[in-house]
Amino acid sequence: MRRLRVLLLKEWRESLRNKMVVFGVVLLPLFLVGVSVYMLALAEGMDDPVGSIVLFNTSLMYFLILPTIIPLAIAVYSIVGEKEQTTLEPLLATPISDLELFLGKALASVIPAVVVDWLSFGLFLGATRIVVGAVPLQALTAPWLASIFGLSPLLALFSVGVTMLVSSRASDARAAYQFSSFAILPGLIPLIVYSSRQTLVDVRLVVLEGGILVVVCSFVLYLAIRVFRREQILTRWK
Amino acid sequence: MIRTEGLTRRFGPRVAVDGLDLDVPRGEVFGFLGPNGAGKTTTIRMLAALIAPTGGSAMVAGHRLGSASREIRRRVGVLTETPGLYRRLSARDNLLFFARLYPVREPERQVERYLRMFELWDRRDEPAGSFSKGMRQKLAIARALLHEPEILFLDEPTAGLDPEAAKTVRELIATLRSKERTIFLCTHNLDEADRLCDRIGLFRTRMLAVGAPAALKAEMYGRRTVVHLASQSPGIERALDLPFVTKVERLDDRLIVSLADPDAENPPLVRRLVELGAEVRFVNELRVPLEDLYLDLMEDRDATT
Repeated sequence: MRRLRVLLLKEWRESLRNKMVVFGVVLLPLFLVGVSVYMLALAEGMDDPVGSIVLFNTSLMYFLILPTIIPLAIAVYSIVGEKEQTTLEPLLATPISDLELFLGKALASVIPAVVVDWLSFGLFLGATRIVVGAVPLQALTAPWLASIFGLSPLLALFSVGVTMLVSSRASDARAAYQFSSFAILPGLIPLIVYSSRQTLVDVRLVVLEGGILVVVCSFVLYLAIRVFRREQILTRWK
Repeated sequence: MIRTEGLTRRFGPRVAVDGLDLDVPRGEVFGFLGPNGAGKTTTIRMLAALIAPTGGSAMVAGHRLGSASREIRRRVGVLTETPGLYRRLSARDNLLFFARLYPVREPERQVERYLRMFELWDRRDEPAGSFSKGMRQKLAIARALLHEPEILFLDEPTAGLDPEAAKTVRELIATLRSKERTIFLCTHNLDEADRLCDRIGLFRTRMLAVGAPAALKAEMYGRRTVVHLASQSPGIERALDLPFVTKVERLDDRLIVSLADPDAENPPLVRRLVELGAEVRFVNELRVPLEDLYLDLMEDRDATT
């Protein structure tokens, strides 16, 4: 556990010094919150409560997409970055275990993704209440909250698992980023279903999606753990 | 400290290391020499418990390879071919990170000690990416030493360094030897291996020769004494009739005399030359560069395969 904590802190310290990662983790959520609140304010100005609620629902979608996008930047740079800097071998030469290494890399991406997602969600609700008022907030139902608080970690985990698999085969960050972006699309299918049903998000759908994500995440993480073995990293990774 | 028996590593049908038998005692600087692609890095990776052998066995720092990998990694330090530093992190953060991954007591004090030892303390807060190649290499060596390993694997420690930085690294290796650390040194710099190593192993997938550099050269070429004459002294090489002289060659005003034991045989040799009327200016041993031995052995191996 001590080594896992040491690795996590190193990952975050390094990420904070990478402008690309900081941009992806901080600016993108702020931008989405800003745009969403601005659109809601416009709808409010047109005195269209139904339109406000539809827009509010659409905005909530962002907080299910964010946990899949945020970890991309961190995970890509934390794995491909190690490759580019040739730091993997010295790291593997330490007593850190394969599992600690895997968990360190995975959690270093998942934790900030979930925390930033929830923080930006809170910021969005607060800004909406202040700028627009209470009307759109009526659409914030229990299933939505369950989605955002229950599914976000699973979506982030899925995204990280896919990114780790892609990054193990990619030798430059840009290529890894592009391929990982495509690979997370299947994880977004339930979100598309949500958007087509708008306010009809219900608990059954959340539970179903959660169940499917647990199965899919387990499979992706199983593959990622297999790839994240010393011998594999040293002999098979590009 | 390191003992291998038939250590083998295959990658599919390709054999990278073939039946390596090796015994490196505590406190020895062992030079592991061979061309690119010979399997040197694979050997280091196996001995440092990074990859598993596909055949044979090995004991490293008192632990069996394969069953105590983590314990072995605690006891060895590895300097990889490239420094492999986190460029965005400071020199101090780089070392602190690694110190905390090992069971190092008082990591901060240990990091300070090594940063001062390598004269990097004043630049401890600068990112490693801003360092010169020599400084990066020094930082990487410090990282390999932080946990006071019993065995140090150094893969090309002076490659790409300017002469001054390379000298610093060589001096450090000499210092470590005096501290009873076992050093396993991979290098293409044969002069460096000749000067630093107690023994060397010439390796190309399999071990071609092992021994002290001087002993290997003597075994391959015999020992030869060079006698520098003040005058030409024509015909003196033919007149030299000592039983222990196996061969005499003439090169301008020098005689190259092959002897079995120059330490004992040089005095009677010089006496006999003076008796024969030669004016001897000085005598020295003919030093064969390690490069000659290396190239000849590799050529032999090529001819065999």
